[in-house]
Amino acid sequence: MKHEVSPDMKLCSKVPEKNFFVMSKIPIKDIIAYTLVMGGIIFIILRGASEQGYFWQWFQVPKYLFTLEDGTFTLGPLLQGLKVTLNITWIAMILTYTIGLITALLRLSDSIVGRLFARVYLETARNTPLIVQLFFIYFVVAPVLGIDRLFSAIIALSLFEGAYASEIYRSGIVSLPKGQWEASHSLGLSRFDTYRKIILPQAVRRVLPPLTSQTISLIKDSSLVSVIAVYEMTMQANAIVAETFLSFEIYFTIAAIYLVITISLSQVVALLERRFKVNN
Amino acid sequence: MTKMELGDYIINVNNICKTFPNGVKALCNFTTNIRRAEVVVVIGPSGSGKSTFLRCLNGLEEIDSGEIIFNGIPLDHHKENRLKIRREMGMVFQSFNLFPHMTVLENVMLAQQLVRKSSKTVAKSVSMELLEKVGIQDKIDSYPGQLSGGQQQRVAIARALAMKPKVMLFDEATSALDPEMIGEVLDVMKTLANEGMTMICVTHELGFAQEVSDWVIFMDEGKIIEGGTAEHFFSDPKEERTKHFLSQIL
Repeated sequence: MKHEVSPDMKLCSKVPEKNFFVMSKIPIKDIIAYTLVMGGIIFIILRGASEQGYFWQWFQVPKYLFTLEDGTFTLGPLLQGLKVTLNITWIAMILTYTIGLITALLRLSDSIVGRLFARVYLETARNTPLIVQLFFIYFVVAPVLGIDRLFSAIIALSLFEGAYASEIYRSGIVSLPKGQWEASHSLGLSRFDTYRKIILPQAVRRVLPPLTSQTISLIKDSSLVSVIAVYEMTMQANAIVAETFLSFEIYFTIAAIYLVITISLSQVVALLERRFKVNN
Repeated sequence: MTKMELGDYIINVNNICKTFPNGVKALCNFTTNIRRAEVVVVIGPSGSGKSTFLRCLNGLEEIDSGEIIFNGIPLDHHKENRLKIRREMGMVFQSFNLFPHMTVLENVMLAQQLVRKSSKTVAKSVSMELLEKVGIQDKIDSYPGQLSGGQQQRVAIARALAMKPKVMLFDEATSALDPEMIGEVLDVMKTLANEGMTMICVTHELGFAQEVSDWVIFMDEGKIIEGGTAEHFFSDPKEERTKHFLSQIL
């Protein structure tokens, strides 16, 4: 019996042309719904703001960002604060990742002392508010050790975020199949080499998403160091608002700046993740 | 095919016992001795302790009592002894356990560079030779995820061989493979056997056992029920349990 090629098969063999109508399945209804909802929300906010009787002075804001006099470009207080924020953030980031990794490895180690030490640090840093830790380190620890204000802020931030980072690392390490450890063991690799070449490369790739969230938290939490009078961006904003009462404009502005930083970071990490995926 | 002469004893397992934390007695007064160039096949129902025995040999599991002596070195609490023994035994796992973030070539080269401290060129040439031997020479830059099961297992064998072990342990090496791929892996194992590698294989492939093994051990409930040469074992088993087990498989 001769087998007939079924009609469906004939259609399958023809590759659909990529024309405009196939590619653009524009969800018209969704776009309209979205525009209406977002428009509604923005309208309500603006209406509420104008009902407050607030006199918006957006024109006042740029001079706090930068000034351009006689061809010289000077950064205004907000952007100077941003420099300090970025400084704090990048140093704290490195410390956070390092402290986090060491703590995670201690928690997973064979040494009882190591595990205990890591556990005590973790529970303390995770279960107390950052602001309390900041005050504690600045008023109690710093005078004893002779650390200045800026470094107290960085250390407090790193210790706080490092605890969370360590749990993220640990979850990545523990999520790897036991077989990876067994294969390394059977090949005679030392524990150090196993971590360095087998476990950590895989674990870190796995936890890039939560680690990014952690870093974004770090950037935003850096605003809290304003309570010990470090002149990063939020502190500068506070100072300007105290003088000018332009609270909405200034705070919206720095919120937008924080948003730009964190979104850029997310994009960079997304690029990194894509690069790792290609390798795998 | 000519088989190499069996040598002196390379592994002595004396009266080992192992109980798991949940109370299951995995091994019970287990004694056996393995000679150089011997191919030992361990068969038995699941839960009989076959894999546990294998894993105790290279230190993946700790024994509760008894002793294991490998080439004169006791497997005890001294780290150096344990390390020495681990490095002389290669293990091939049921789930391959290749390193997914490294290419096939890097998988095979890694241990040589880190453990044997070979240079990159030496490691590379040894690896290429082994990968050719197992038939994966055209996939050296692929990642494990891009290979079939049979190919991955052959890479795993090459990776274990790269350390030039004295004994190769195969823990159900073909149990996770599709039937079409079992043959290619068994072929590699047969070649190894004929070259005189000391092998201990936990397997369900009785054809392989009959063809290549020097000694077959039947285990049940952590004990050796019967042990014998391949000819004796399959044609004329003595114990009831052995006969029952074989009747179910053959």
